[in-house]
Amino acid sequence: MIVRLVASRIALAAVTLVAVSAAVFLFTEILPGDIAARVLGRESTAEQRQIFRDRLHLDRPVYERYGIWLKNAVQADFGRSLVSDQSVTAIVAPKARDTLFLAAFAFVLYVPVTLLAATLGAAFRGRAVDHVTSVLTLVGLSLPEFVLGLLLIYVFALQLGWFPALSVIGAGGGFLDRLQSTFLPAVTLMVAMSVYAIRMLRDNLIEVLDSEYVRMATLKGVPRRRVVLRHALPSALGPALNVTALNLTYLIGGVVVVERVFDYKGLGWSLVDAITNRDTPLIEAIVLLGSAVYIAANLLADVLALLLNPRLRTS
Amino acid sequence: MLVGSGLLVVFLIVSVTAPWWAPHGVAETVDTPLMGMSWAHPFGTDVLGRDVFSRVVNGARDDLFLSIVSTLVAVVVGGIVGLVSGYVGGWLDELLMRVFEAVISIPLLVLALLAIAAAGPERSGSWLLLIGVVVLVYAPRVARMARSIAVDLVTRDFVLAARLRGESVRSIVRRELLPNATGVLLVEFGVRAGYTPILIGSLGFLGFGARPPSPEWGLMISENRDGLLAAPVIVLAPALSLAVLVIALNLCADGLARYLGRQAVRTP
Amino acid sequence: MSLVEVEDLTVDFWTGDGWANVVNEVTFQVRPGESYGLVGESGSGKTTTAGALLGFRRPGSRVRAGSVRFQGRDLLTLRPAELRRVRGREAALVPQNPTTALTPNMRIGDQVEEALQVHGLGGSRSQRARRVLELIRQVRLPDASATARKYPHQLSGGQQQRVTIAMALACEPKVLVLDEPTTGLDVTTQAQIIDLLARLRAETGVAILYVTHNLGVVAEICDRVGVMYAGELVEEGPTERLFERPRHPYTRGLIASVPSVVRPERTRAVLHGLLERGELPPGCRFAPRCVFADEQSFAEQPVLEEVEPGHRVACWHWREIPPLAETAPGEERIEPADTRDGNGALLGIRELDVTYGRSRGLLLARREPELVVRDVTFDIRPGETFSLVGESGSGKSTIARTVGGLLRPLDGEITFEGRNIARTVESRDRELRRRIQLVFQNPDASLNPRQRVGRIVGRPVELFFGLGGKELAARIRRLLEDVRLDPSFMRRFPHELSGGERQRVAIARALAAEPRLMLCDEVLSALDVSVQATVLELLRSLQEEHGIAYLFISHDLAVVRSLSHRVGVLYRGELCEVGTVDEVYAPPFHPYTQELLLAVPEIDPAARRAPTPKVDTETAAGPAATACPFADRCPVKVGPVCDVEPPPWRATSATHAIRCHIPLDELRSKAVWPPARE
Repeated sequence: MIVRLVASRIALAAVTLVAVSAAVFLFTEILPGDIAARVLGRESTAEQRQIFRDRLHLDRPVYERYGIWLKNAVQADFGRSLVSDQSVTAIVAPKARDTLFLAAFAFVLYVPVTLLAATLGAAFRGRAVDHVTSVLTLVGLSLPEFVLGLLLIYVFALQLGWFPALSVIGAGGGFLDRLQSTFLPAVTLMVAMSVYAIRMLRDNLIEVLDSEYVRMATLKGVPRRRVVLRHALPSALGPALNVTALNLTYLIGGVVVVERVFDYKGLGWSLVDAITNRDTPLIEAIVLLGSAVYIAANLLADVLALLLNPRLRTS
Repeated sequence: MLVGSGLLVVFLIVSVTAPWWAPHGVAETVDTPLMGMSWAHPFGTDVLGRDVFSRVVNGARDDLFLSIVSTLVAVVVGGIVGLVSGYVGGWLDELLMRVFEAVISIPLLVLALLAIAAAGPERSGSWLLLIGVVVLVYAPRVARMARSIAVDLVTRDFVLAARLRGESVRSIVRRELLPNATGVLLVEFGVRAGYTPILIGSLGFLGFGARPPSPEWGLMISENRDGLLAAPVIVLAPALSLAVLVIALNLCADGLARYLGRQAVRTP
Repeated sequence: MSLVEVEDLTVDFWTGDGWANVVNEVTFQVRPGESYGLVGESGSGKTTTAGALLGFRRPGSRVRAGSVRFQGRDLLTLRPAELRRVRGREAALVPQNPTTALTPNMRIGDQVEEALQVHGLGGSRSQRARRVLELIRQVRLPDASATARKYPHQLSGGQQQRVTIAMALACEPKVLVLDEPTTGLDVTTQAQIIDLLARLRAETGVAILYVTHNLGVVAEICDRVGVMYAGELVEEGPTERLFERPRHPYTRGLIASVPSVVRPERTRAVLHGLLERGELPPGCRFAPRCVFADEQSFAEQPVLEEVEPGHRVACWHWREIPPLAETAPGEERIEPADTRDGNGALLGIRELDVTYGRSRGLLLARREPELVVRDVTFDIRPGETFSLVGESGSGKSTIARTVGGLLRPLDGEITFEGRNIARTVESRDRELRRRIQLVFQNPDASLNPRQRVGRIVGRPVELFFGLGGKELAARIRRLLEDVRLDPSFMRRFPHELSGGERQRVAIARALAAEPRLMLCDEVLSALDVSVQATVLELLRSLQEEHGIAYLFISHDLAVVRSLSHRVGVLYRGELCEVGTVDEVYAPPFHPYTQELLLAVPEIDPAARRAPTPKVDTETAAGPAATACPFADRCPVKVGPVCDVEPPPWRATSATHAIRCHIPLDELRSKAVWPPARE
């Protein structure tokens, strides 16, 4: 039963990923105008353009090109950049590593902040702690990443000078230096994600705390702390996992903005560049990568939630 | 709710009336660039020497109207598609949901950027494109939610009773489903409307939203960011305006949700 | 010396614009080892009162006055840490709905053990584990060590309730507070739980506070009973005396509202009107609904007065109130035109098979369809009430929905007025849709919350008869009058009505189509006892006025007996007995019918049966693996023949047949009926 459920989730995720790739391909391939003319410039000869088109199979029908592209993409070959003529994979790989570092840093900050704030808010519902978190999260979810980022730069970099204003990376430096230079962008991302998660987890927890089995445990004489930790939290954790996975949509989107704010040259930065330059293969690769991460995370959360739920695990 | 709608009314008035009382035009160079706060220029002057105050009040129109109109279209379109799909079921429903699922799997902002890339970045100034982008991003999410409401409602006895009477699909969606979904859809609208200015601002900031010399706040922040040290107010003024607008929208959404006895669920 | 002393307990709830009183100056005691029943309908404040015995009050409520003294200490003023030591240790709760009251991701054994652990009882870990197994055995759950390792969802509702009882008994408390513990359970399971409680009480000497709306259950298990109305205790006394000679008009009406499975006389609605919280008079709260009320009743609050030792009543006029009438002779039921002749059937069902197993989706493999209804055959004549009685999962609602066209049968024939109609509602013609109407179980769900009553009732009139404007309004008004509702209800929304009123609206909607057959799917089960009686009365008179035939689906054997002309008993999707109401409720019985009848608690002291030993069995849902669906549970099973060979139908008359391997004579001699009387 559980094996079948998990298998069907995986199959569904795979179907979604293929559908996403088709959508991404369609989006980028319907770019208006002659790509060859724009990339090669006005002075290019008709012959040069034809060679360019042949190389990209631009004369073949869309579905055929999609087939070729997909086949190559599966082998991690996304073609060559139209601008620099480098292999897309070679461009993306190091950027992905840097972005991953930033995202992971943000995530490490996100988990404890979210859990703590949500649990406190729910456990002390209606009291000062709850009101404070509620106001703070409302403000947090009203601040766009670029506003928050600039505010942080203004206060902590320009006024206090604790952190660098821009996170230029790659120039040597140890792990700690790197942490210091990515701290502000990571905090920005963390806030962008956790404000939503805190609100949801708090509401979830409150719902569980209002449930009959929690009341039953209380009336059994179980101490409050044990009620929250043993009876309530495990039930609220499954949904929290799913929320976290869904929130990655903000993290991934936020990365694009934050990298721009802090001049952090990762994938998000490259995506913006690629769009400006209409570097189709690069756009496709980055968007597909972002979506794949999102789908994978949701799959993981789904499967974990299934495993956490005894109802599904044992039947 | 009261504070939220009060603020919103202020924004509305400002956005409608700004052209008449703003001291300067939005594209007018009036003074030395990068001046701080002063009586002549309460929010200073930007890198090109334009009056930031005039630009901020004029920018309200772009951000507020764009947000509300685009969100409205998205919720109406997504809502109806979702309800019908959920009620009718079958392969059409299956197909639509797979497609929406795929679109949703492309992270929100990335999808918006992708759409702009597809339309051609040089068209990014157009309001129509921005509205289209917001609809593309939101409608599948709204549809998925509306569908889950419909799927829940169709098993309810009052819908069964309507089926037993032999009501048509149109009549069931219009009389039985829609009235029971409006509450949730309204809350959804409020919550989404609260995020739209952030989306539009982010696009503007990245250079794919409004075009210069538009006074859209996100764009303005991006243009003025180099003046952050010299004249912080020229960045902070549009930034805080944007934040306060979003807070107002969010307060309204929360208030609306409470009034309707529902939770304002902020799912991406 | 009392164990628990509740004194002047007064509790208010916050309604958003003020405090509303829900419990008012309630005073009663529970003695050590005693079983005290607190009875009342919804809104009587009984559950709030029970919660106070554990020092619990819901968020948004306040205790305005009074005390709950437990062995001398007032639980309402105890500090949280002290209160925690009382809860579970001295006073333990058995909750209403065990399915939601057990923590879903904790094993049964762990939850029972936790009760010991948090109170520092039970010794070492291994000693505690042993005690847990002992407790699980004590509540007669099978295979203790396997059960301890299970999760709640792996047990049936009855088993889950046994677990909560084990949990409550873990610390050997002095009093058990039972909050409607059998409400969601089937009648046979309920009987087993009641039986278990009685035995545990004998074994452990624990005192019981039993809160319920079910008078029958109270009569079976309680020594003393308190009756609550609108937050006040209106009468209290020893169970026997109270049921025999109720003094308060409300108690009287309540008792008269309950139909008896043993005595088929018509019950009449004795309680009029409804509890209107907003319009309680300063005097007796029951006065607005009371036929004996006078000015004094409305103006002055009566206090509890002793009418005989231990029997107290709060009524100014208790002396003038006559005893419950010796049950009136059963009025003649109007028989439908041709009860004996099979040709004139309105609805005919032949060998009906229904399944839910329509698998969809690409990845799921098609499986063998599981029959929810198997080989069911019966018919209904014009103007007749045919009842299908059975427990949850017996497929009775499925049959109603199939007849209604919401489900497509897998096999078999359904004829209506001679035409085959075995297809879904979308492919039936309008005239057919009009003639068969369905009334759902839960009026909260069957009425669109966003439509006004006028619209709900008027829509079928518009659709089927094309009426509009003044004519439509007049018709709606008449329909509301037909179901005894004021025409002013037209402008109201469903949430502004009470449960009983909503069900009337649902009936009016069905009536609007002027049907020949009405499918009533558990239409009473969501309603309070007194409201049930009035709706029952309504259904009966509508049948007399309009000649509508009913397919009446119910789990309540007493209600079925009082309303039906003929009855079919359903078990796991198969009919096991069919006959006229008098034949089914008299020997010989099918073994399952017998078990059902014995499980029904009886309030009438004169009709009380000798307690029968209850076998702990589980009502299984879904299709059976054996040839006779009842074989694995049957107390009088013949042998392997029951498992492999489908039992034959044995007819006792032209109208009555039993499907069993046991010969009729033997069934007759085995029957326990009429109830044993002294």
